[in-house]
Amino acid sequence: MSIRMLNQNAEVLNKSAALHMNINAAKGLQEVLCTNLGPKGTIKMLVGGAGDIKLTKDGNTLLKEMQIQNPTAIMIARTAVAQDDSSGDGTTSTVLFIGELMKQSERCIEEGTHPRFLVDGFEVAKRATLEFLETFKTPVVMGDQPDREILKMVARTTLRTKLYEGLADQLTDIVVNAVLCIRQSDEPIDLFMVEIMHMRHKFDVDTRLIEGLVLDHGSRHPDMKRRAENCYILTANVSLEYEKSEINAGFFYSNAEQREKMVSAERRQVDERVKKIIELKNKVCSGTDKNFVVINQKGIDPPSLDLLARAGIIALRRAKRRNMERLVLACGGEAINSVDDLTEDCLGWAGLVYEHVLGEEKYTFVENVKNPHSCTILIKGPNDHTIAQIKDAVRDGLRSVKNTVEDEAVVLGAGAFEMAARKHLMDNVKKTVKGRAQLGVKAFADALLVIPKTLAENSGLDTQDVIVALENEHDRGLVVGLNHNSGEPVDPEMEGIYDNYIVKRQIINSGPIIASQLLLVDEVIRAGRNMRKPT
Amino acid sequence: MREVVTVQVGGHANFVGSHFWNFQDELLGLADDPAADAAFRAAPLDMDVLYRAGETLQGVPTYCPRLVSVGSRGSLGSLSSSGAPGLSTAASEQLNITTWSGNVTRSVAKPHGRNLFLQSLAEDQIASTSNGGSNSQKNVEDKDLVESLENSVNFWTDYTKVQYHPQSLYEMNGSWTDFEKFDNFGTAREVVSEWSQMEDMNERLRFFVEECDHIQGIQFIVDDSGGFSSVAAQFLETIADDYTNTPVLLYCVRDPVTHGSARNQRETITRSLHDAVSFSKLSSFCSLVVPIGLPTLSQSYLSPFLSIQDAKPFHSSAISAAAIHTITVPFRLQNAGPASNLAHSSGNIDIRELAHIISDQGRQNKVTALDVAMPAPSLKDGNDLWNIKSLHSLTPEISDEEEDPYSVESLVVHGVLRAGGQRASISQVKDSVCAAYECRATKPKFSHLSVSPCPLPIPLPFPSFFRSNIGRHGEIVGSHSEGTLPKGSLDVESIPMAARLRSSNAVLPFIERRSLSLQKLGVARGALGTQILRDWGFGKEEIEELSEHLLKMVRMFHPEDGLTSDSDYD
Ligand SMILES: Nc1ncnc2c1ncn2[C@@H]1O[C@H](COP(=O)(O)OP(=O)(O)OP(=O)(O)O)[C@@H](O)[C@H]1O
Ligand SMILES: [Mg+2]
Repeated sequence: MSIRMLNQNAEVLNKSAALHMNINAAKGLQEVLCTNLGPKGTIKMLVGGAGDIKLTKDGNTLLKEMQIQNPTAIMIARTAVAQDDSSGDGTTSTVLFIGELMKQSERCIEEGTHPRFLVDGFEVAKRATLEFLETFKTPVVMGDQPDREILKMVARTTLRTKLYEGLADQLTDIVVNAVLCIRQSDEPIDLFMVEIMHMRHKFDVDTRLIEGLVLDHGSRHPDMKRRAENCYILTANVSLEYEKSEINAGFFYSNAEQREKMVSAERRQVDERVKKIIELKNKVCSGTDKNFVVINQKGIDPPSLDLLARAGIIALRRAKRRNMERLVLACGGEAINSVDDLTEDCLGWAGLVYEHVLGEEKYTFVENVKNPHSCTILIKGPNDHTIAQIKDAVRDGLRSVKNTVEDEAVVLGAGAFEMAARKHLMDNVKKTVKGRAQLGVKAFADALLVIPKTLAENSGLDTQDVIVALENEHDRGLVVGLNHNSGEPVDPEMEGIYDNYIVKRQIINSGPIIASQLLLVDEVIRAGRNMRKPT
Repeated sequence: MREVVTVQVGGHANFVGSHFWNFQDELLGLADDPAADAAFRAAPLDMDVLYRAGETLQGVPTYCPRLVSVGSRGSLGSLSSSGAPGLSTAASEQLNITTWSGNVTRSVAKPHGRNLFLQSLAEDQIASTSNGGSNSQKNVEDKDLVESLENSVNFWTDYTKVQYHPQSLYEMNGSWTDFEKFDNFGTAREVVSEWSQMEDMNERLRFFVEECDHIQGIQFIVDDSGGFSSVAAQFLETIADDYTNTPVLLYCVRDPVTHGSARNQRETITRSLHDAVSFSKLSSFCSLVVPIGLPTLSQSYLSPFLSIQDAKPFHSSAISAAAIHTITVPFRLQNAGPASNLAHSSGNIDIRELAHIISDQGRQNKVTALDVAMPAPSLKDGNDLWNIKSLHSLTPEISDEEEDPYSVESLVVHGVLRAGGQRASISQVKDSVCAAYECRATKPKFSHLSVSPCPLPIPLPFPSFFRSNIGRHGEIVGSHSEGTLPKGSLDVESIPMAARLRSSNAVLPFIERRSLSLQKLGVARGALGTQILRDWGFGKEEIEELSEHLLKMVRMFHPEDGLTSDSDYD
């Protein structure tokens, strides 16, 4: 959205009014999101005008559901959502941090400090904090055999902020195994190779990992087997349906006989393709107990299905485009675009293929594959909003594992990093800065406290007490965070509370950038007729 | 049977769709109703073409449209996106949350009220499940329902009586997008690309296509007046990729109110560019494109028979829906073989053949005008000529030019009556229409005729806009007398209809205008609109491509040597 697009009713606010509007917008958004944060946060149920339900504990999802109109708030929300897009987590923290930076700045500005000094201080503090993060982070070695324990701890920390403990713990192994399954040495991890599927089920809340694939459709022929073992898998993108597409332009049947002739010629071409597949099937399967499954991205019409069924082949049509890639990674072989030169090398393998039917919905499981690099997480839940919420959590969990593998580092959580970084800024950095920019460094350092403070508040604890207790420990050289049950300081390493390095990095990076933009605003052009001037 | 999958994108498209599916629902009901007109009971149209049989998780059989409808958040009114009425506020408070043990806050939006019609629909459903469907003790008179609809339609769901499949209704998420200001091609880009919404829409469509054995094509209705044309363009592009050989019949529909005059020069430029860009984009990914949407219907040729209020989308969308219904009739005529085509219907044709006839027989032009006669005039007694002049265009910005030796047409006539009020036979209609075509000064290069005895049924939730000169079966009785109240669905049961798709040089001005404005405002050096197009995310090359595409469409109309004007009859 270009802010320069002037509207008829646009109104130009003067500098100080604009500044106040920005501060208020940032504070407003912070207020909405603060109860979300951490394992003791509040889940939100949103009921729409038609009685439809959304359930979320995720800052990212909540922001997307909110009808935000204020341009400043939209700008902050965009930053936070971008944070989630790139690292998968930390939306809530980003919004809180920006809000708190603005709140701290407001105090200084009221006392006569020019925003310019604050912005300068932010810049120094940001750089120092990022450097500090490099020394503070816990390196993790990711060789051929990654440290599963640490991956599980990161995943568990994330999942427990979205689901109750029992459910989160059940998912922990699943997300770790899923990421390790698709990981291939020297290649970036492509989470799209983990398919997330769901089934609606009356009472069950259950999630499992299938090393292999689940497709949301079944074969369309009554005589095809519903279950087969030892299957060759042919992944194809070949039209096996007769289309009147090859008629040359300008030609039109002059009579019914001519039409019939055209039709049968085209039919023959399709049949030829099917026959080539059947030939390969006979070559690799005859005389053995092996089976043959065709999974096609294009259509397969009933005559072709008939031929395939008669040859004992199971065939699925109109497979999702992305599943072509996944199938090859899960089963091996290659995705073919033509049936010419079909060989055994094109084929993949699965120990078991079977169909599962739920009402009108059909699922095909392709399991027991040899060396899978693609897998499926199958979520069962009683209703759409529960499924959606678990899905969101699974996505967060997967991202946290991927991040850890790629960062080769993690960061102690539960507010420990923020406490330590603040201390570093106050003790070592502030004094290196001349003049009023010091105020900016201090504002930044104090703003970091919003994380432990909010965690404490959401746990029903006294924030003052908690911060004092944590500070004392840090002054004694102990790196501690907050035990959200007791309110006592706790060693996050002992508890296995770890956050992602990349997430922290981004929060520290983007927070002050947006805050600075909002502080240095000259004027705000704001659309809308009935705007009241803020006082 | 060859399946059609329908896609509706954007506000007015869904208003049109709502009427369209009400017609189909009415046909389904009438086919089983012993008291209904014989023309409906003969099951003349194969409903499986548009509908699918399925079942719910509980095993209850369902019969729903093969439909993907895309709209903005909140555009479903009181209908939840699962197609069922949503939970009541009280029920949502009872709901227990199984995934979180901590605190819960609820934020409940003000529930959308249901109008009288929807309330009675819900009551009917309860009644039919609890006491065998006796609706003797109805609280509200049908008369009140029909009247209430004239003033209580805010959403397209306010007059829909159709049960939709849970996969059908897709609400675009874009809470930070002001859908009120979703009025040009640029506004939609972010909404779609962010948050993988296109993938979700594709998945919905795939659900319906996968189960088709022989899909004949996709019928795609888009409200192209604003941002939704960009959504549709992206959707169409992925359809062209995924279903390469599946023809797409595209209707671009507009509400008359979107034609209001621009407030300033900038808005004028923006609109012209929007029209040009969206037409260029949309037309490049379909087999046929049919622009629909006169700036006024109240002042149109329909006004001697229909008293349409332009300000009510409930009214204007009904006209487009009726015309689209008529165009789909031949896709659903049973293929009875050449011997029997006198008896039941004539001229069944599928979407692929239609596209082929229209765009490959003449000039390779795929832009067609849509003409409609609502109601279609009755046949007079004797061997007379059917009144072709009763057809009038719903396509804006075209010329009145009728004389074009290269034109290609497909005409559908259904439910036509004879002077006495009986249904005309297929052969009578054919003879009369053919005779009329023979008498035209300039005959089209090619024309196709489809005839069915089954008229357009008028469902209860339909605008009361028939003038007093329209009879119970849509016959024209005398002339309209001023001062009488318009009639509604309780007075008019059905309407004979005729509609025609016409590829002729009449549509040239429509295309030229868009081509010129893109040239002038977008491509030319120092053009006024380049910044706007850049804001919409178009680079220089892309703009030139769009413009080239339009120029190419214009060029189709400059006859090349070798095109002869032999007319061919079917
Ligand atoms: N067991 C725990 N005890 C204390 N603090 C914890 C615990 N687990 C996680 N945290 C802290 O909670 C914070 C993360 O909370 P949460 O995941 O709700 O918000 P977020 O990551 O900022 O945003 P998003 O909504 O995008 O996930 C981190 O600061 C993390 O250190
Ligand atoms: Mg988080």
